[in-house]
Amino acid sequence: MEFQWIKIPYALLSIFIIFNIGMLINGVVRKIGARVGGRYGIRVYQPYIDLIKNYALRSNVSHGIMFYLGPVFRLTGGVGVYLLVPAIYGSVMFSNFSFAGDMIVALYFIFFGTLGMALGAGEGGHPYSALGIGRGLAQVTAAEIPMVMAFLGVAVQYQSLNITTIVAAQQGGIMNWTMMTNPLITILGLIAFLGTMMRSPFDIVLAPQEIPIGPPTEFHSTFLGVLQTNRAIFPMAKTVLFMNLFFGGATNWWILILKVFLIYMVSVIVGVVFPRFRADHSIRWFYKYALPLGILALIVTSIIF
Amino acid sequence: MVNPLYIFILALGAGFLLTLFDKAGRKVSLIIFYAVLAAMVAISAQWLVALIGGSETAMIYTAGFKPPFSINLQMGLEEAIFTLAVNVLGLLSGLYLIKKFSAIKVNAMVLFLMMIMGINGLIMTRDMFNLFVFMEITSIATFAMIGIERDVKTLSAGFKYMIAGGIASVLFLIGTIYLYCFSGMLHIDSMAMAIDTASSQATLLAVFILLMAIVIELKPFPANGWALDVYEAADPGVVAVIAAGSSAGMLFALYKITPLLNETLLLTLAAIGVTTFLASNLMGLMQKNAKRLLGYSSIGQIGLVMGVFAMLVYLGYPINGKMVMLIAGGLFITHFAAKAGLFWLAGILNKEEIEDWGALRKKPIFLFAFGAFILALVGLPPFPSFFAKWQMVMVLAKEGQFIFIAAVLLGTLLEAVYLFRWLGKVLQAEVKEKLKISFAQGLPILVAVFTALGLGAYTATVVPGGESLNIFYLPLLLVVAMFVLDFLPAWVKNTIVIAAMGLFTWKLLPNLESYRFMFGIIFMVGGIILLIPGYAYKGKRVGFYPFAVMMYTGLAGLLMAENTLQLFTAWELMTIGSYFLIIRGKKAKPHALSYLLFSLGGAYVMLSGLGLFFAENGGNLDIALLSTITQSSSIIYILLVVGFLTKLASMGLHIWLPGAHAEAEADVSPMVSAILLKAGMFGLIVVMSAIQNPMIGKVDINYILSWVGAITVFLGNLAAIYQEDAKRLLAYSSVGNLGYVLFGLSLMTHLGWLTSITYALNHFLFKALLFLAIGGVVWRVKTKNMYEMGGLIKRMPISFISVLIGIITLAGVPPLSGYAGKWLTYNILLEKGWYFQGIVIIIGGLIAFLYCFRLIYAVFLGQLKDEHRNVKEAPLPFLIPQVILMIAIMFFSAYPGMILSHVGDFLTKIFPAGGIDWQGGVAMTQFGHWDGFTILMLTGGIFVAVLAWLMINNRKTQKVKQFNIVYAAERPSRPELTHVGYNFFAHYNKALGVLSTPLAVKFWNGIADGFHATGDFFRKIYTGNGQTYLVHIILFVVVVYAFVIGE
Repeated sequence: MEFQWIKIPYALLSIFIIFNIGMLINGVVRKIGARVGGRYGIRVYQPYIDLIKNYALRSNVSHGIMFYLGPVFRLTGGVGVYLLVPAIYGSVMFSNFSFAGDMIVALYFIFFGTLGMALGAGEGGHPYSALGIGRGLAQVTAAEIPMVMAFLGVAVQYQSLNITTIVAAQQGGIMNWTMMTNPLITILGLIAFLGTMMRSPFDIVLAPQEIPIGPPTEFHSTFLGVLQTNRAIFPMAKTVLFMNLFFGGATNWWILILKVFLIYMVSVIVGVVFPRFRADHSIRWFYKYALPLGILALIVTSIIF
Repeated sequence: MVNPLYIFILALGAGFLLTLFDKAGRKVSLIIFYAVLAAMVAISAQWLVALIGGSETAMIYTAGFKPPFSINLQMGLEEAIFTLAVNVLGLLSGLYLIKKFSAIKVNAMVLFLMMIMGINGLIMTRDMFNLFVFMEITSIATFAMIGIERDVKTLSAGFKYMIAGGIASVLFLIGTIYLYCFSGMLHIDSMAMAIDTASSQATLLAVFILLMAIVIELKPFPANGWALDVYEAADPGVVAVIAAGSSAGMLFALYKITPLLNETLLLTLAAIGVTTFLASNLMGLMQKNAKRLLGYSSIGQIGLVMGVFAMLVYLGYPINGKMVMLIAGGLFITHFAAKAGLFWLAGILNKEEIEDWGALRKKPIFLFAFGAFILALVGLPPFPSFFAKWQMVMVLAKEGQFIFIAAVLLGTLLEAVYLFRWLGKVLQAEVKEKLKISFAQGLPILVAVFTALGLGAYTATVVPGGESLNIFYLPLLLVVAMFVLDFLPAWVKNTIVIAAMGLFTWKLLPNLESYRFMFGIIFMVGGIILLIPGYAYKGKRVGFYPFAVMMYTGLAGLLMAENTLQLFTAWELMTIGSYFLIIRGKKAKPHALSYLLFSLGGAYVMLSGLGLFFAENGGNLDIALLSTITQSSSIIYILLVVGFLTKLASMGLHIWLPGAHAEAEADVSPMVSAILLKAGMFGLIVVMSAIQNPMIGKVDINYILSWVGAITVFLGNLAAIYQEDAKRLLAYSSVGNLGYVLFGLSLMTHLGWLTSITYALNHFLFKALLFLAIGGVVWRVKTKNMYEMGGLIKRMPISFISVLIGIITLAGVPPLSGYAGKWLTYNILLEKGWYFQGIVIIIGGLIAFLYCFRLIYAVFLGQLKDEHRNVKEAPLPFLIPQVILMIAIMFFSAYPGMILSHVGDFLTKIFPAGGIDWQGGVAMTQFGHWDGFTILMLTGGIFVAVLAWLMINNRKTQKVKQFNIVYAAERPSRPELTHVGYNFFAHYNKALGVLSTPLAVKFWNGIADGFHATGDFFRKIYTGNGQTYLVHIILFVVVVYAFVIGE
């Protein structure tokens, strides 16, 4: 199959669109959170200002080559995951590079960014970074359990690993969505989503109120700018992936924005309500509750489908 | 042709006259003494040559009459062999004792001559009473030789010997008297024809008593306490003759009266023999005194020979036929040479405890001899005992005697425990003192070891199937060359070995087909790459190259094996070579032992399976027939698979791996981890492609294997995250990764096997890379604990990149080739529907991320420790293979189809349906697709783009000092304060602690302790009191008689 070079500008356009979606959703969510808490809240376009400010800082400090590369790995991971997932069903322009791999490559590419970030933070030489990474990785591997089981369940249901095929099977009305045809798997997937979004109760990694040191403090200026860029793209990429697998995909950008926003709000709402788990709590939680649920969901899926 | 009577004439004459000649000076007597011994050797040798050439068996008549009216001697082929062996032993032992003989009274030499002469008589005589006479001569001479030291221990040991000998003599006489009464003759052959044990109870009793007399002399369990005291106390030069020579004589006596025995007696004899073997080796486990240990081994080996001989005769094999000669003879001659050699060594070292034999390290050739004797006793190639045991298992399996086989193999394993434990102590001992070995002491040992080796080569040619062993000629020639050239500097030897292996591989690989070709690349090409780090070693590296070549010989043999004998020989060669490589590590002693015992145990289980295969297919060794077996195929399957799983280190059989791989030297670890484990996979492929539906009742064995594989992945990876030692982490990671291989194979589908092979290829690439990189790091920083490292990225950047690529491949993160395995795993789960094993495997794979990160973080990132501020990058010979492997990984990641499509082609022959459809470089299955090249390009492109973006937007970056970090009002001053290295995953341990209980270790330790405790308990019957031993003997006779009557 000849490589179509037109794909590259399409991909850049796609990234640009999702970047903006991510920034705006970030701003809106923070505004909503503030309003719920009785405050006025930031301007909706505040994330843009933060980003430009970081890129414009005149000086920056580095701890070494891997520190330099950490944010690069992270953003590569974020953009890579997004590009491997088809964004708009039925659109050649916005199916990105999903012809190169199926859902498994997206699943495993998520780790690329995590690994890079871990390496970068580790190079910072700060012990708290290392602590955070240790917890974060341990939690990620526990949180991945429902994720892989949910993905596997979806694959069993549709007998395919190809995301486009799965989205195609969900067209034709809300009753065809995986959410409706296989609610157990969707619940499992949502639990996985919570784990991967790293909001409460699973935000021990950064534990914002507890450890005001480590990566957020050590990375600054352009490095932090790159990480913030990633913070706009990566969660969106994961949400788009979940949308494709469980909620019927999107046939145009407006539906995509709506669905992504709503799915994202699920994690936000859970996040503002629940307190934080400790690292061993969260690991045990995933093994004790998510794993049996996953087994049950798989059994049911394999029987029905 | 000299009349054999001259043996006796010369011995007796010299014996009488030596006291006279001694008046002329000790030198004169010594000359005569050795001359006589040499003459005895010459006579036996002359007869042997003549008999091999085809002469008739000679009957020597005395007193002018023919038997049964007179005594006659016989010199046939068996007699010539045995007398030659005994006489050579006598000459060499006499030479060994030259210092003693020069110093003490001349009577010693006289008695020695009598002892040797007596044994010759035991062998040659054909008259029952004459046999008794020679037995007595030997006994008295031996007793005197034992007591020659005149200290308490020897005199009491000698006395106990006389007590036992006395009982034996009494019983012999009674038996002979009654047999004479019943048959009217004393000539053995005529007696055999005239006596029928079935005719009356009394006849049976008479034969029984006679048999017991000889058996007692052969030291059966439990009536052998006296023998152990003799072995322990007497002078080693004398004990050598007793252990080897007297047993030779008595065994031959047994051989002579065998025609008198009936089936019940033969079976009883077999039982006594194998029980003695098992019991002696069990009791030897706790022994610390060197000579007593050798005593246990001796008794055991004689019991084995006796038992095997009796069993073969019972099964109907002719007494002087080829099978009996090969099996019993092979076992016996190995014992003969090895025991004599070991006792001679004991005399040289003159140390009581086995711990103290370390001085042998000062004399390499004698260390070699020691190791050779140990290998010979356990029954490893290239010694005759190996082929004898092989043939024994084949023959007995054909006859259905599986309990006997199991008992013998168990006994051998027990013997291996204490012998190799001893060898390990010697190899790793701290040596301070010098060792002096005189020519007279050294020569016999060297003769013994080279005789054993030579006889091994000969036995290899006569064993059925032996012609096929010529595939080993060239490689073994290289092994011998490396032993001889061991004085050269290491880099010279390295070059020779790499060149030789390269040439051999060049010739071999094109002739291999399908999966053998692929394994050939891993074993041979991989082996050559992994020899390159050898250039980093200064000095001579004595003892490395012969065994490294031996290991690769075994691997090459596996690739070429067409029949089961070749397979098993290759397997054992591989085990021996790798054992000696692993034990080179400083702290490797217990781990190398554990490795060897598991390997041997697995090999013996495999041997049983091969024996059953031999029996089921009617006596054919061809491996290709494995697929045609219908009956018992499941049992053969289980036995062979268990054997291969010990090499593959599956859960439960894995406990040897972490220690062995972690403590091995820096370039040995990659060899054993990346290459050797695949030998187990090779075996599994051979078996599983031949026997495709193994079932026990309704249970599919492969289903069980899939669970074993899944649990191995999970628990192996889980154990790895808690390790503090970098190499142990990698070792546990190997355990986990090979679980994937087992799982994939057990699925028995095209894609499943493709997955296994992909994992195996990837594992070879990344594990070699990781072990080399970490080996290089450890080389420089001199510690293996990760919490003592840190920040090494600044000093060792290339090693860092190697580890980075290695862990990305291990974790299976795209774009590198490890992802191929993960993607295939999902495909096979969807295809087969075994979701639960799949979940366990996937979780295990996720856990792998944890230790991947820990490895790279703790070693390379963070703060550099003060003592490492000036470490250099790893030595260049370590870096070159790393670069080669990294290039290989990149190639495999970009063009996976080039390799995997060929793999798919040969898998189609076994599993026609369900493969990968390769369209261009894109892999398509019914479920999904994967384009390795595009993903690699995509990742690279994004990475470069983002990096460019960062650099465009960057201002002047200021590099700050190490401690310039925000630390909440504290100022860290030492790197140790900022390095989070120890107990990194404490929270994981807290959450999942229960899953990490070392059940397997506890299980195997429990078994080992159980055996040791049992052995220790039974040892207590040897109280040292001669009267107790007397009671033992009498009770033994009574109890055995009760069994015989009961039959």
